[in-house]
Amino acid sequence: MSTETVYTIVDDLGALLLFTMILILAAGQIYRAIYAVAAQSFLIAVAGAVLAMATGNTDLWVIAGITLAVKAISLPWVLHWVVRKMNVRREVEPVIPVALTLAFAVMVVVMAFHLSGSLGPVRQAITGNALPVGIALTLLGVLVMATRKTAMHQMVGLFASENGIFFTAMAVTKGMPLIIEIGVILDVILAVLVMAIMVLRVRSTVDADIAGLDRLRG
Amino acid sequence: MAETLLWVIPLVPTVTALLMFTTRDRRILSAIDVGGSTILAVLALVLAREVRVGGPRALGIFRIDDLGLVFLLLLVVLTLAVSIYTVGWLKQALAVGNMKAESVRSYFALVHAFVATMVVTVLADNLGVLWIAMEGTTITSAMLVGYHGHQHGLEAAWKYIIVTTIGISFGLFGTVLVYAAAAAVPGGVAAMSWSAIMKVAPGLDPSIVRIGFIFVMVGYGTKAGLAPMHLWLPDAHSQAPTPVSALLSGVLIKCALLGIIRFQTIAAAACGPAFTSMVLVVFGLTSVVVATPFILAQRDVKRLLGYHSVEHVGIVVLGLGFGGPVGTYGALLHVVNHGVTKALAFFGAGTAIARYGTRDMRVIRGLFAVAPIGATFLMLAALSLAGVPPFSIFVSELLVLRAGIGHGHWLAIGIFLTMVAVIFAGILHHVGAMAFGRPTAAATREPEAWSPLLAMLLLAAIMILLGITIPASVDGLLRRATGVIVG
Repeated sequence: MSTETVYTIVDDLGALLLFTMILILAAGQIYRAIYAVAAQSFLIAVAGAVLAMATGNTDLWVIAGITLAVKAISLPWVLHWVVRKMNVRREVEPVIPVALTLAFAVMVVVMAFHLSGSLGPVRQAITGNALPVGIALTLLGVLVMATRKTAMHQMVGLFASENGIFFTAMAVTKGMPLIIEIGVILDVILAVLVMAIMVLRVRSTVDADIAGLDRLRG
Repeated sequence: MAETLLWVIPLVPTVTALLMFTTRDRRILSAIDVGGSTILAVLALVLAREVRVGGPRALGIFRIDDLGLVFLLLLVVLTLAVSIYTVGWLKQALAVGNMKAESVRSYFALVHAFVATMVVTVLADNLGVLWIAMEGTTITSAMLVGYHGHQHGLEAAWKYIIVTTIGISFGLFGTVLVYAAAAAVPGGVAAMSWSAIMKVAPGLDPSIVRIGFIFVMVGYGTKAGLAPMHLWLPDAHSQAPTPVSALLSGVLIKCALLGIIRFQTIAAAACGPAFTSMVLVVFGLTSVVVATPFILAQRDVKRLLGYHSVEHVGIVVLGLGFGGPVGTYGALLHVVNHGVTKALAFFGAGTAIARYGTRDMRVIRGLFAVAPIGATFLMLAALSLAGVPPFSIFVSELLVLRAGIGHGHWLAIGIFLTMVAVIFAGILHHVGAMAFGRPTAAATREPEAWSPLLAMLLLAAIMILLGITIPASVDGLLRRATGVIVG
């Protein structure tokens, strides 16, 4: 593949990633947010495969495979399982209206592109528009976590944030060391398991969402 | 010898953690706990001697220099003190039902796993490994924060794990950007090793490193408890079991500071020290200012100490921001002083909480009449935390102040002094009311347990010693560590 083609593909994937992010931000039902973040992780895995083909970096194949298995399939499945186990009936309203959230999101995306547009030599270090897309995804993940007071939405936001980092990390020209990426994914898995345990523990003792508890103040 | 130690030292707490599963007897578990911490401390001292003689050592992803050594020694001393304290604390906690006998061994195992991850953050040369270990500390300590299992503990644990995980994902982003910059320079490095990146640091693209450093500052700053990312800290510090609070406040937030310092040296070389100095001063001042009203209005003694940590982390970062040999030396000394003093304060507060069965400072009254030795230690720690001479924190705050004056940060100095004066009054008012006055009916008066007192004696001795005079060996270590940062 020529460099130009790779840039185009990475940019197109970046656009799709931002689209899935909008789906997550706008999702009312938690299931939709989970499907959207799974799709997002799948796109990250595709990006990994494309970059692996283009650069001949075999480590990226491994990372793409792990991303597919862990972030696109296993962890969304865990989230899905926890949601079923929690048996949530009512929807929790976002702290601010979805329309306003989306307006914020647009501002964040524009800002991210503006910021990395001001960087000259970043093109040599990171392929295509992976940097602004990565920054935007990371910040928008935080936006999801800040505007939704349910544990599940917060975990989805966390995933989206980490997807943004992974997308940028894959596009770094020389690639990240494989062992580091594996360590990072391992940390993510452990963190999700611990969070799931906490969510279920609170659900089993009081009928409340752990993220909705607000007794500790001041 | 020293190279082997680099691998052995992280293994010691790991093995200690695994050994916990061999028994259920509380006495044996406590013995393993203290034994493991003692071995860790001895090995760290041996390593310190080796480094003093032979300079920095590296082995694979691990590396130890004088800077890392400051943090490693603080870590092992506090871990040992915490282990000794836990002996008596655990007995009392089991007696009143705060801890359950069947979960004691997993508690010990988690504490040592937590220590192991912190040791790796200090020894890591590879910035990716630093990040992985930092996230590891979050996972292990989040389980400890919620260990009491009640609703408040779990709420604090959730807030802790969510806020710090999202926080340090910013740190990972910053790490990726700095690595991208390092990989892009001609003849650049395809490794994430700090020492390798430092060699090419002056040639890194400043604009990428600038964004990277801000991401890292937000990321590891969350973990360090810098305002406005400190939201998790008072909750976690107040809800965790007291020995864990001491580790969180004394060691963990210092490990995050070491992460910030590592990136500060890279960014200062790439973008010039003026940029890092500005970022650090802004975050430091914000922390000191934000913590002040919460310290004044606080009723929960452990939350008070938590907000106080926000203030002191702010002072360390201010010292780093003012920079120069004086400011950096002051900041490193403050790291040691605050770690030791804050652990002592948590121990003292923990003893008081055990007596009165509450963390509410309006109920804890007349501690001197109830537990005179423990009250003395708590009072000493509070005087030191407030910045009274001749205690150690006074010395390091003065150094930070001098660096600020030397570099003409007049506005920052003005705000800093005002806040420190207000906090001085606030903390003495709070602790004075706890120590003196008429004891409330809730308090029990049996004799004080020896092990918490021994742990407090150890820390108080270090605290007073560092206040009166800084021993030549400590002074030399801090000077060489300052040299690593300032260059």
